[in-house]
Amino acid sequence: MRGFEPRPLGTGRVLALLGAIAALLLPHATRIPLWISTATGVAFAVRALFAWRGYGMPPQWILAALAVASAGGIWFSYGALFGRDAAVALLILMLSLKLMELRSTRDALVLIVLGYFLAITDFLYSQTIATALYLVTCVWCITACLVAFQYRSQQPRAVPALRASAVMLAQAAPLMLVLFVLFPRVQGPLWGLPQATSSGVTGLSDSMSPGSLSNLSLSDGVAFRVDFAAPVPALGRLYWRGPVMWDFDGRTWRAGESPGAGISGIDTIGEPIRYTVTLEAHEMRWLFALDVPAQIVEGSRLTGDLQLIAGRPVRNRLRYDMSSHLDYRFGLAEDAVNLQRARRLPRGFNPRSVALADQWRSAGASPRAIVQQALSMFRQQPFFYTLVPPELGRDSVDEFLFDTRRGFCEHFASSFVVLMRAAGLPARVVTGYQGGVLNPLGDYLMVRQSEAHAWAEVWIENEGWIRVDPTAAVSPQRIEAGIAAAIPDGEPLPLLVRTGNPWLRQMRFGIDAMANGWNQWVLGYSPDRQMRLFQRVGFSDANWHNLVIALMVATGVVLGALSLVVMRRLRRSATDPLVGAWNALSRKLATASPKLARQAHEGPETYLMRAAAAFPQTREALQRICRLYADARYGPAPSPTSAKDLARLVRALHLEAGGH
Amino acid sequence: MADRVALGDRVADWIFPARGVEHGPVLLTQRRIYIVPTRQGWLFTVTLLLMLLASINYNLGLGYVLTFLLAGLGVIGMLHTWRNLAYLEIRPGRVEPVFAGEAARFPVVVVNQAGFGRLAIGCDRADAPLAYGDIAPRDATTITVEVAAARRGWLAFGRFRLFTGYPLGLFYAWSRLEIDLQALVYPQPEAGEPALPVAADLDGDSGHRGRGADDFAGLRDYHPGDPPRHIAWKSAARSDRLHTKLFDGRVGRELLLNWNDTSSAMPLDARLSRLARWVLMADQRGFDYGLRLPARDIRPGTGAAHLHACLEALATFDSRANGGQTGAVPGAT
Amino acid sequence: MNRDLSPVLDAVGGIVLGKQRAIRLTIACLLARGHLLIEDLPGVGKTTLAHALARALGLDFQRIQFTSDLLPADVLGVSVFERETGTFKFHPGPVFTQVVLADEVNRATPKAQSALLEAMEEHQVTIDGVTRRLPEPFFVIATQNPSHQTGTFPLPESQLDRFLMRIELGYPDAAAERALLAGSERRDLIEHLAPALDATRFTQLQQAARKVHVAPALLDYLQALIAHTRHSPDFVIGLSPRAGLSLLNAARAWAFLDDRGAVLPEDMQAVLPSVVGHRLHIASGTSRLSSDALAARLIAEVPVP
Repeated sequence: MRGFEPRPLGTGRVLALLGAIAALLLPHATRIPLWISTATGVAFAVRALFAWRGYGMPPQWILAALAVASAGGIWFSYGALFGRDAAVALLILMLSLKLMELRSTRDALVLIVLGYFLAITDFLYSQTIATALYLVTCVWCITACLVAFQYRSQQPRAVPALRASAVMLAQAAPLMLVLFVLFPRVQGPLWGLPQATSSGVTGLSDSMSPGSLSNLSLSDGVAFRVDFAAPVPALGRLYWRGPVMWDFDGRTWRAGESPGAGISGIDTIGEPIRYTVTLEAHEMRWLFALDVPAQIVEGSRLTGDLQLIAGRPVRNRLRYDMSSHLDYRFGLAEDAVNLQRARRLPRGFNPRSVALADQWRSAGASPRAIVQQALSMFRQQPFFYTLVPPELGRDSVDEFLFDTRRGFCEHFASSFVVLMRAAGLPARVVTGYQGGVLNPLGDYLMVRQSEAHAWAEVWIENEGWIRVDPTAAVSPQRIEAGIAAAIPDGEPLPLLVRTGNPWLRQMRFGIDAMANGWNQWVLGYSPDRQMRLFQRVGFSDANWHNLVIALMVATGVVLGALSLVVMRRLRRSATDPLVGAWNALSRKLATASPKLARQAHEGPETYLMRAAAAFPQTREALQRICRLYADARYGPAPSPTSAKDLARLVRALHLEAGGH
Repeated sequence: MADRVALGDRVADWIFPARGVEHGPVLLTQRRIYIVPTRQGWLFTVTLLLMLLASINYNLGLGYVLTFLLAGLGVIGMLHTWRNLAYLEIRPGRVEPVFAGEAARFPVVVVNQAGFGRLAIGCDRADAPLAYGDIAPRDATTITVEVAAARRGWLAFGRFRLFTGYPLGLFYAWSRLEIDLQALVYPQPEAGEPALPVAADLDGDSGHRGRGADDFAGLRDYHPGDPPRHIAWKSAARSDRLHTKLFDGRVGRELLLNWNDTSSAMPLDARLSRLARWVLMADQRGFDYGLRLPARDIRPGTGAAHLHACLEALATFDSRANGGQTGAVPGAT
Repeated sequence: MNRDLSPVLDAVGGIVLGKQRAIRLTIACLLARGHLLIEDLPGVGKTTLAHALARALGLDFQRIQFTSDLLPADVLGVSVFERETGTFKFHPGPVFTQVVLADEVNRATPKAQSALLEAMEEHQVTIDGVTRRLPEPFFVIATQNPSHQTGTFPLPESQLDRFLMRIELGYPDAAAERALLAGSERRDLIEHLAPALDATRFTQLQQAARKVHVAPALLDYLQALIAHTRHSPDFVIGLSPRAGLSLLNAARAWAFLDDRGAVLPEDMQAVLPSVVGHRLHIASGTSRLSSDALAARLIAEVPVP
């Protein structure tokens, strides 16, 4: 295949290609070790300098040595050559080395194809709309480079290449859409286990110390979104259970081992409410559901403390159907071992709190009364709900209860449970999310990290585990209306969580609705969803086989339409209606007598003479037609209606009268 | 890859047997255009498959988007590559004669009647470097292919391929053609400046003698109307009569270049080379020259057309048709 | 037919019999401000045509018989030394007239020829460093014998380009010839020919002819014709831009003669053989065609857009 032999490159094209690929790699810059980003940057700069100055490329042995060194460096940094992060880093380094081999257009094409592949690695780390837009722009530029390398003329032509690239990508878009919707989806992973994403994912953890939840509340990241089948229940009733904290070391609460399955001990009242949760990846195994779950997600289990635990950490956005009973009784027959665990307190911490609780117990109050006493203490004494509580020392509960009295939900929940345990009542801290914000644009509830919450559960004889939310005692707005209403103005709440500015609020809803749609339809378009979509549009029997047929039909239709678009100006077109009418005359005369077809080189007058000789009776009509055409086509001031007039005259022409 | 396309050519030959030289313009209709992926095209396809696997494995929704977008791009690229070649009209251009040893330049005229430009159209003929051209909408471009002209006579351009990889280089579209293109190759002129034959055939002093302005020829009496700068002022000073200087411009020196003047001991092509050199020298020095070959006689003349006629006679000289290479000019007097 | 030029055509047609088309082409050539080369055998009426035309148009006429000893000064004029005053006085040559008939132009030496050709090109002559303008309008009608005769100097190819048209008269048909034989002496008829126009009016007509409309479609056609000569192997050398312009002007004049406000492809086709015949060179590979046949082929091969 001659014509595809290596050809030298132009400086402009090399620089453009370097720029486009560098832009593609830019999002990786902060994710890979510093030495790799530095080496890559240097490689690009050196190659650009070489192109600028016209230097030759370094010898092969240097590149081979560098390749070995890179592999060693990767091994040293990641402890492996394969696996997601290491492979991406290796790919980036190898691409940088390939730059040093960029001698001919063939090398450039290899680089471009490699660049296409690298584009997809960005999606391993981020799949936001912004990332998508950025990378599509990069792909556009790289494709323009691909086009530019096909030019044979010396002049580098950036604008036509960019235009050609844009046109082709735009034409490819319908095909992409068909393939995206109809290409039979397979549930991944196909091999291995995807590695944990690097840190940076915010969310609840299996421990809780003063300040951990308030920090989380500063994030406006979305934890999950919920579609309710029925009207959304009152916000105050929406407790999304996460990790349950059993063990306290005086300062930090830990979840510890959850008790075994205890779903049998739930008494429920009434019908469950149904909803669908789209959970963001949070690298932990908790699935969030309203208390108490009426079902479990496939592959998950329900623990004795009602946590819904998935089989493996949630690494990708997860969508699951769920139903819950909001009215229930649970744990009437709780195991004695668990109750013992729920009373344990570390020795030698928080003496003042322990003394207070002892005082309540020795007064002989019932468990209910003790709970009420604690709550009324929070309510009557000057406790403040704030995102910026003061630092607490060793006996954090004592200091909070008796000195600072300013705290976030974890302070209230933690100190309440300590009081209960000290009073001899089994109690535990439950973390999770409370409430949510209804997005009117998408008609769904969004639950952000700022909705993170901690509350308490107390076990009472014959009543089981009862939810007690001490925060509600101090700040009822937090529970009823959400965090933005509860936090005093001036405290550092995430911008998007604030409700004050209606315009801002509207924008926030719009952005989140868009993100939700994106998540549901682009990122979360799973095999399951594909099948459901098919069923919804009327394919009752949506299987793989039918999908392939639909894919082929749709691709054929779209390709046919695109071919028409691409080929539309291919053949000489008689789009000029005047010429069209003139050709119609030729066809008409040719039908009457084949010799009378107009020859390509005949002008109107010559043709008229020939035609009039054959049809003397219609000479005048023919004359009119030819004059009209000549005037319109060659005259100084053609009438705007001449094309129509000509067509009419040609139609009205009757040749039979003068036939020969 | 080359094997595969050669195979493609064989298949094409099988479907459409070589039709020989096509006269007049050739329109590249659908059935005349073939298209295959290039090596880069296969690399691109494999990369797409890898991207699809990565998308499945990591559940990358955007990965699918990108993979399918690029797949669409590949398909669209194929359409565009095909379109870049389709319905071009190919005509032979005018081939200038060359001397043997030079490169004949074959102009392939490519006419684009479509409303969009055709870029990077290549012309591939065996034993010749590739040549490329761009054609603007509703315009024509000449793609010139240089072929080494080794031997005198007619050099046919033969079968060639018109191809393109534009716009993406992932596909190679081509069409095989043979159009009426041939170059006249003059004999290679002998090196150096062999002495011109003595003007044996010049008929005496009949070379036209006119009054020009080159060489001083004498004086005559002044007539009104003689140009003033031709007046011999020096002689006017000596006598009281005006004289006009006469000049002799010798024009029309005739020369007959005869096959028989070349040594019959020389090989045929050497004799033709010598004659070619003589023709060129005679043209350069402004002679009225003629050429006498066995069975071919060109009357004396001048000018480009005459030069061409003489050299053409030498280029197409066929010794067998003329009774052997040492044959003397029959009836030469 | 144009109202002003119709009588001219009739008048000349009454003297040069059976040559309507040649007369029309001649008038069109003059209208387009071009010079004319008539190539034909002696005695077919070249001189008569030129003389009658000048007469009918009301223009001054001079005839120069080109011979081998003709000097440039014989064409352009000389500065004559006058003994009485001791100075030079310029005596204008025959070229200082409105219609010059350069008879048998290929008999003169290249020097004499180029003197005339420069005058044609510049519409002025420079003698002894002084530039003198020629009268307006100024036409040269040159005649040339086609056969290769010894002692002639055929006009070089580069010079041929200066003539807008080259026409051939050919023998008259039988009827015309009989009328010619039966009629009176042509020379006498010319003497009695009344001018139908004058120089001023003719200059106005020339200007009007330049204003004939040319539509883009027609320019497309012209370009296609030129491009064909450049690409087709039938022609050794393609038409130059000047040839294209000449073709356009001649077509305008032809349309004007027909009293039409716009040029049609037919006008182009009518003048094409005369305008391009002497500018095209036939490729040697193809069978030898006459320039007329070549022009016909050019017309036949280029579609009218």
